[in-house]
Amino acid sequence: MLEAIHLTKRFHQGEIDVVAVDRFSHRFQPGITAVVGPSGSGKTTLLNLLAGFDTPTEGEVRVQDGEKAVVLSKLDEGRRAELRLRLMGFVFQQWNLIPTLTALENVAFPMMLAGHRLKERQERAAALLAQVGLEKRVKHLPNRLSGGEQQRVAIARSLALDPPILFADEPTGNLDSASGERVMELITSQARKGRTVILVTHDLELARRADCVLRLRDGRLVDG
Amino acid sequence: MEVLALVYRNLRARPVRSLLTLLGIVVATASMVLFMSFGEGLRKALGAELSSVGPALLVLPEGVEAFSAGYPELRPEVVERLEALAGELGVTKVIPSAVFVRGGFDPTSSFAFQGLPQGVSPKDLYPNLEGAEGVVTPGKGGAVVGGTIAERNKLGLGKTLRLSPEVSLEVVGVLERAGGIADSVIYVPIEAIHAVLGTKNYTSVLLSIRDDRRAEEVAAAIEARIPGVDAQTAGDVLRFAERAVRISDLVRFGISLVALLVGGLLVANTVMMSVYERIREFGLMRAIGARRRFIFGLVLLEALLLGLVGGLLGLLLGQVASFAVNWYTVREVGLALSSVTPRLAFFALLVALVLGLLAGVLPARTASRIPVVEALGRV
Repeated sequence: MLEAIHLTKRFHQGEIDVVAVDRFSHRFQPGITAVVGPSGSGKTTLLNLLAGFDTPTEGEVRVQDGEKAVVLSKLDEGRRAELRLRLMGFVFQQWNLIPTLTALENVAFPMMLAGHRLKERQERAAALLAQVGLEKRVKHLPNRLSGGEQQRVAIARSLALDPPILFADEPTGNLDSASGERVMELITSQARKGRTVILVTHDLELARRADCVLRLRDGRLVDG
Repeated sequence: MEVLALVYRNLRARPVRSLLTLLGIVVATASMVLFMSFGEGLRKALGAELSSVGPALLVLPEGVEAFSAGYPELRPEVVERLEALAGELGVTKVIPSAVFVRGGFDPTSSFAFQGLPQGVSPKDLYPNLEGAEGVVTPGKGGAVVGGTIAERNKLGLGKTLRLSPEVSLEVVGVLERAGGIADSVIYVPIEAIHAVLGTKNYTSVLLSIRDDRRAEEVAAAIEARIPGVDAQTAGDVLRFAERAVRISDLVRFGISLVALLVGGLLVANTVMMSVYERIREFGLMRAIGARRRFIFGLVLLEALLLGLVGGLLGLLLGQVASFAVNWYTVREVGLALSSVTPRLAFFALLVALVLGLLAGVLPARTASRIPVVEALGRV
C-alpha cells in the first residue's frame, strides 16, 4: 500500500514561491497507476515525494511495511533509503545502470546492499536476467547494451528484492517502439502479479494500459 | 564483490589519471623511504662500528660530542693524569690520539688522519683490522692507510702523502678492508698531526680497562678526578648517537612530509574529480537504497586503494634507490648508509594508507551528502 495525503511541495525560485505539487491525495492500489500530464505539471516532483527522494512541505506519504503502516515522509534519510531498498523498485528513463558494473552485477547490487550472500545474489540475478530475456548478456557492461536492453536490466534489478511497489518514470521514453513494447509488457506482467506500479509518463498511449490514470496540471490532481 | 569491482573498475576506467596519481604517491613514498633509510643505515653502521672498537672508554673534552673532529682540546696534562691514575682504576692502556680531517666536497678528496703515539697500531683501536702490505704500525715518517681509502685514491706502498707544506709522510703499510669507518682512515704518527696543527693537544684519549663490566664505574671516577673531561663508555656513545640519529630522523621526515603532502593532494584531487563525474551514479545508488555511509565508504576505499598500491610501489622504488645509494657509498667510504628495515617498510605503508584515508575523507563526505534529487538530476 502506498498513500499520499494532502501532499504539497513548494520551492522558492528567487522571490517567487512555486507550488510544484498541490494538496495531492491518492491511495495507490495494486496494478498500474499512470500519472500523466504535460511537462512542468509536477509529475517528477510527485514521484520524488512518493519514493522518499525528497520530503514534502506539507502532507505525508504512507507506506505499508509488513504489518504496519509507516509515514515515509517523516523518516530520516537513512530509514527512507532502507525502506526504498526493501519495498520499492525503480526504472528511470535514463541513467538507470551503474556504468562500471556488468548487467549481472547491476541486478545483484540491491541484494548486496541488503546483505545477501554472493552465490545467492549471482543465482537470482542470472534468473532475473533470463526472465527479461538477457541470459546471454549477463557479463556485458551497460555501454555494450542497447537502450532497450538497459531498460530490461533495470527492470530485472527493480525485482531483485521482490518489492511490492514499482516506480517507472518514462520507462520507454528513449526507446524505439519495438523495444518500448517489450519493456511495457514486462512492466504490465509485474502489475498482474499484484505489484503496485506507478507509471509516470506524458505518453497518453502508454497511459491507456493503466488500471487507473491520474492527470496532473500545475501540481494538482485534475481527475483520477 | 560488487564493491571491489566498482572501486577497481572506476580507477581503471580512467587509466591515465589513476596512473599519474599513483605515480605521485609512489614518488612521495619512495622519497620518504629513502630519506628515512639513511637513519636506519646509520644506526646499523654505528652499532657495527662500536662493536669493533677495542678500547672500552673514550675520554673527550667536556661538552664535545663523540665523532666530532674539531681542533684538539685535550691538554697533555690530562693524559699524564690519566696515566697516573691507570693502576688505581684498572686501566691497562692509555692511547691519546689526535684527528685531522682535510675535507672536500667530494668523498674522494676528503681525508681523515688519525695520529697515534709511538708503538700504537690501528689494531689496538680496531681489533679486526689486518695488514695487507708493509707494516701495520705507523713509524716515524710513515703512514698506514685503511683498505678503502688505499684502493680509492690508489695509495700504495712508497707513495708520499702531503699533510701540509712542511709535513710529508710515506705510505709504509696498507690495511685489509674490514668493513667500517676504520677502512677510510689514514693512521699516522701523532707528531705529524701536532706539527700540522701547531699544538701538543689531543682530540681524545682511548682507554682499555681490565674489566669491561666496570666501564661505567671507571668513567664516573675519571670524571670526578679530572676536571674538564667527559669519559664515555661505548654505551654512552651509542645512546648519544641514537639521539642524534633520532633528531635527524625527524628532520628527514619533515622534509619528506612535503612530498607526502603533494601526494595526498593529488589523491584528493583525483578522487574529488571522480566524485563530481559520478554524481548521477551515486544518486542512482541512493535511489535504489544505498545509505550515505555506503557511498562514503565506497569513495574512501578508492582513495585507500590508491594509497595502498602507491605505498607498495613506492616502498619497492625506495628499496631500489636504497640499493643504488649503498652501491655508491660502500664503494666510496666502505659504509652501507641506507637500510630499509622491516619497521621502516611498515611505517611507510602506514603513512601511505593514512595519506589515502585523509585524502579520501573530503571527497567521500561530498559524495555522500549530495541530496538524492540533485544527484539524480531530478530537481
